[in-house]
Amino acid sequence: MARRRKSSIKPLWFLLAGGLLLFAIVGSQVFISSSSTPYRTTPELDVQAYMDNANSLRGNVYRIEGEVNESLAWSPTSGRLIAVSVQSGDEVLPVLVTTEFNSINIQKGQVFVFLLEVDDKGILRTKKLIKA
Amino acid sequence: MSHRFLSTLLPILATMTTVFAQVPDPAQPQAAPENSNAAPEKSNAGNSSFLGKDMPMFNPGSEIVTWDGKNWNINNNRLFEARFEKYLSAPAADSEAYKAYQAILEQIMDKLAPTSVTPKSTDEAFQLLAKASEYPGDANLCDAIAYQVYSSWLAKNNMDRMRAANEGLEKEKKRLEWNAMMTAEGSALEGPSSKGAEAAQQWKKQVQLKRDMEMQPLITRLAEVQALLKTNQLKREVAALQIKIEFQALIVQHFFQRRFQHAIIGTRFYRNVFADGDSQLRVGEDAKSLFAKTTGLPPTMGTVDSLANEVIRDVQEGVQSFKFLLDQDELQSASKRLAEAFILGEYLPQIRTLDRKDKRRALAFVQKSNQLISAIEVKDYTLAEKLVAEINESAKDTDTSKPTAAIETARQVSAMHIAKARNAAVSGDKNTLETELKAATEIWPRNPALSEVSSMIFQQADEQSRALVDFDQLLSQKNHRQIFDDKMRFIAATAMYPEKQEELSQVLDEVQVIETAIIQAQEIEKQGDQAGAWESAERTFRNFPNDNKLNQLRANLTIQAAAFVQAIQQAEKLENNDQPGSSLAWYLKALHKYPQSQFAHDGIDRLTKKILPDAT
Repeated sequence: MARRRKSSIKPLWFLLAGGLLLFAIVGSQVFISSSSTPYRTTPELDVQAYMDNANSLRGNVYRIEGEVNESLAWSPTSGRLIAVSVQSGDEVLPVLVTTEFNSINIQKGQVFVFLLEVDDKGILRTKKLIKA
Repeated sequence: MSHRFLSTLLPILATMTTVFAQVPDPAQPQAAPENSNAAPEKSNAGNSSFLGKDMPMFNPGSEIVTWDGKNWNINNNRLFEARFEKYLSAPAADSEAYKAYQAILEQIMDKLAPTSVTPKSTDEAFQLLAKASEYPGDANLCDAIAYQVYSSWLAKNNMDRMRAANEGLEKEKKRLEWNAMMTAEGSALEGPSSKGAEAAQQWKKQVQLKRDMEMQPLITRLAEVQALLKTNQLKREVAALQIKIEFQALIVQHFFQRRFQHAIIGTRFYRNVFADGDSQLRVGEDAKSLFAKTTGLPPTMGTVDSLANEVIRDVQEGVQSFKFLLDQDELQSASKRLAEAFILGEYLPQIRTLDRKDKRRALAFVQKSNQLISAIEVKDYTLAEKLVAEINESAKDTDTSKPTAAIETARQVSAMHIAKARNAAVSGDKNTLETELKAATEIWPRNPALSEVSSMIFQQADEQSRALVDFDQLLSQKNHRQIFDDKMRFIAATAMYPEKQEELSQVLDEVQVIETAIIQAQEIEKQGDQAGAWESAERTFRNFPNDNKLNQLRANLTIQAAAFVQAIQQAEKLENNDQPGSSLAWYLKALHKYPQSQFAHDGIDRLTKKILPDAT
């Protein structure tokens, strides 16, 4: 009889311990991830709104993360105009990487996080960028 | 002599027919030279006059008569045609009255025949003249002969009386001459008296005076009688000559009227009345020359008689020849022989009694031949062709090579001009059209093909007017597609209007470009490239937005490549609203969907240069 009572307590403890462990892992991951996203304080760009009417977003600063699609043009005075795929490649946005980032190699296929300002012509002008 | 005589006499009598014709037609001599069968008129025609210096001349080779400065074909002049056709249509003169009339003429000629003529037969023949003239067809010619014979007899009686008077005068003359002679002898001078020479001389003078006084009336009367005798003799000779001339003139007139039986009767009466052996014709110089040239002999009553008999014989042969040729279905030769016989012997019984059925066959041929000549003259080659076929069918001996050649030549030349006119009409060359149509009309005025071409041109003109109105209307509606679909009609309609041709050319070029784009888009679509097909159609649409067919295709392709089309359209809209950032984003989206998009590439290039003007 005593032998039966001892075996019924052990699975409950194991279950509780496992739950705690899982919580601890997930929580740590969430913390880690939130604390590693660049410019997380800046709102992400509403791509659809930008495409519909960029003028309405002029002066605002947004954050996007996307893959470099291609280089559209390069100006020695203004910088590089690149196409960046966002939203899993459904949309492609033109981003002007100004001359201050000339030192950064930007190549097709690289994923960057851009801090962007919508200038007076609706162009997404890079304020900061960092490889994701 | 016979052949020479007939070949010369035939046209002479034919022409004299005009003079003595019972149905004169003054227009004929002028009309004849205009005939195509007439030889060219001589230049001195205007100077010659009727019965002018030239004698009628006949060329048997060409069957051309030359007279009074004018030439015409004896077989083809309106007067002869009319008379001959009238004769051919007329019934045969087989009435009892005509037979009786001919019998009387035969009797007269028999009674006056040189072998059987007697004073009694002459009187009987004279009486028969009155009977013969009762027949209307005689035209009182026998009466004229009878009158002339009677006048001659009266003249002869007068001459007999004059001869008797002369005989009395002759006796008177002889009596006067006798008396004068007796008077001269009875008062012969006797010897002087013894009373002395002076007294004798005085006595002699007295006697001489007495004799002269007695002789004077006798001599005067004798002179008067002699003068009267000479006067009467002259009067008789003049009267005889005058009555002869009158009689001869009547006979010659009958001869030229082709009343040969009457001419023979006249000559026989003449010889009977004037049995003095003087048969010389005392007619005008022209008539004398005519007879001399015809027979080669001086004109006499015998010449007239023999010529008339020769004509009667020749006509008889001509009629026999006609009948034989008719039996052989050789209508052309038969008609010619009959025409020749008719010219000479229109009033002879051999001609008058010819069977109407036979004449009708010849008439049908002659009418068709005359129609054929007229048809060719007026250039009605359709009718001419029909007549040639009919003539060929009915007459075995007809040579239709000349009319056939004329018809074929006219047909070919006319067809050539009509073909040129048709081409000119199609190409809008008005001058050539008019020239060629005029030429074709001149060659063959009633050419059926000509009316067809004319109606075609008129129809074309009507069609052209309507087409031009439609063209202007469609052009104002910018319905170039409709113009393109009906382009053949408008090309033909604007052929003569260079300005409209230019407009049409622009429209057709434009629609041709659209058509090419449509075909290209459809081919791209077939390969599954809807976006590319849309771009192809859209590019053309932007240049030609009013083409329905292109619009329809573009609409279909817009649905099939909706996302791409929307991206392009949105990009362009934002580009136009000066939003280069948004616009560029849409172009990039479109390029992402269709990497070959020319619109997207172009848009990106434009905007890139706008954003980065100094970009390289």
